[in-house]
Amino acid sequence: MIKIQDIRDAARDMLAKGEVRAVIGWQRGSRGMAAEPVVINAPEQADGLVWDPTCYHNLSLYLVNDKKAQAHAKQKPTLPIAIIAKGCDARSCVVLMQENYFRRDDIYIIGVSCEGTGVIDERKLAVALGGVKPTSAAFDGDDYVVTLPDGSEKRLPAREVMADRCLECREPFPKENNIALGEDKTGRALEAPFAALARFEQQSEAERWNYWQRQFDRCIRCFACRSVCPMCFCDECVVDSIEMKVAPTTSAEEKASRVRWIERSNTLADNFGYHMTRAMHLAGRCIDCGECERVCPVNIPLRLLNNKMEREAREQFGYEPGASIGGPSLVSSFRDDDPGTWIR
Amino acid sequence: MSDTQSYEPRIVAFLCKWCTSAGADLAGVSRIQYPANVTPIQVMCTGGVSPMYVLSALRKGADGVLVSGCHPGDCHYIEGNYLARRKLHLVKELLGFVGVEPDRFRMSWVSAAEGAKFAQVVRDFVEDLRPLGPQEKVKADRS
Repeated sequence: MIKIQDIRDAARDMLAKGEVRAVIGWQRGSRGMAAEPVVINAPEQADGLVWDPTCYHNLSLYLVNDKKAQAHAKQKPTLPIAIIAKGCDARSCVVLMQENYFRRDDIYIIGVSCEGTGVIDERKLAVALGGVKPTSAAFDGDDYVVTLPDGSEKRLPAREVMADRCLECREPFPKENNIALGEDKTGRALEAPFAALARFEQQSEAERWNYWQRQFDRCIRCFACRSVCPMCFCDECVVDSIEMKVAPTTSAEEKASRVRWIERSNTLADNFGYHMTRAMHLAGRCIDCGECERVCPVNIPLRLLNNKMEREAREQFGYEPGASIGGPSLVSSFRDDDPGTWIR
Repeated sequence: MSDTQSYEPRIVAFLCKWCTSAGADLAGVSRIQYPANVTPIQVMCTGGVSPMYVLSALRKGADGVLVSGCHPGDCHYIEGNYLARRKLHLVKELLGFVGVEPDRFRMSWVSAAEGAKFAQVVRDFVEDLRPLGPQEKVKADRS
């Protein structure tokens, strides 16, 4: 099991020696038990870092944000930035490097293994505790120990309140790392990979459409899924279609006839377009950190869409997202024996 | 006239400039009869057909979308059709997954010499679309 002191020491040492300009990690949050992401840039701040089952956030998002902030300030940092990364976070770093968003030298990965016990799903926990809001949570072997508001401790088997993605995770150990802490329990999935997807796919086409129609209908287009996704790093999103140069000479007709791929209104057809486009843009890139689904205010099961693409990539094209920095991406490569019998 | 009788599937077809467009042309100059349900849109290469084109066509009320280009190995841009094959396979799978009939999306290889094949592809597609009825699932509501 990882001792929190090891993480703090690693972060403090690096900052003290001036090897990195900042460390992205988690600290105690202000929202109940949940940890919150933090960027520290002084050695003494390292004592505030935490590591527990509430570290859900995929911190590679903050790498992307940092890069954007640096670009905005027209700065070229000389030192790398360090990130504390779980197995899934490290995979998303790999995808970002594969897409040349970062060079390997730009980031320093402090890998932390979830050791197969993953992070808590707050919705499941609320059910398990009957709505009581715990004040903290900790790993303990295959269990979580949560502290209740009255000071008592409660032990819960991890697999009962664990996030779905962690149940299906085969790679809780950050393979790409500069240093790694914790035990490598790769391959120890508690459920078969894509179990939820397989269950869903047993339904008929009509049932599936009914289901998705209901889900897409509920989408309020808050774009939280896009905001939280480290892969959605485009400066301009095709969904926004706000960037049209409007000069005094631009005619009303030109304004009216500009291409709007997806309207901003949250009608079923446009929500469908948005979510399908997102799924396509994440095909072969999504590493299943499940953040989109966690932050969705109306509980749309977005992981299902991404899982579908991931499984298709694996089964049809032998492609594993986040596996190698150097390899080509899913849609920029092909093999001669790609499935083609569906083409007339 | 009842709805079923008046229903004619509307197909948006993205045709590659170098093969299928020429094939469609050949069908025309050879006076091969085929249904007039297709609205052809010429693209430089099937590799350039973004999934957004397909989704957008469905959203704007197409009953079926056809993407057609050069046979594997014949691409003017060497590998565009291979990339299209992979990408559009994902689109088709995704459509089927959320419960939109995957048969509404079709891809075919038609070379510049295959005017008769192009006519046949269109004929088949129209006949396959007829039983599915109008595509209302993801059509934007403009009422």
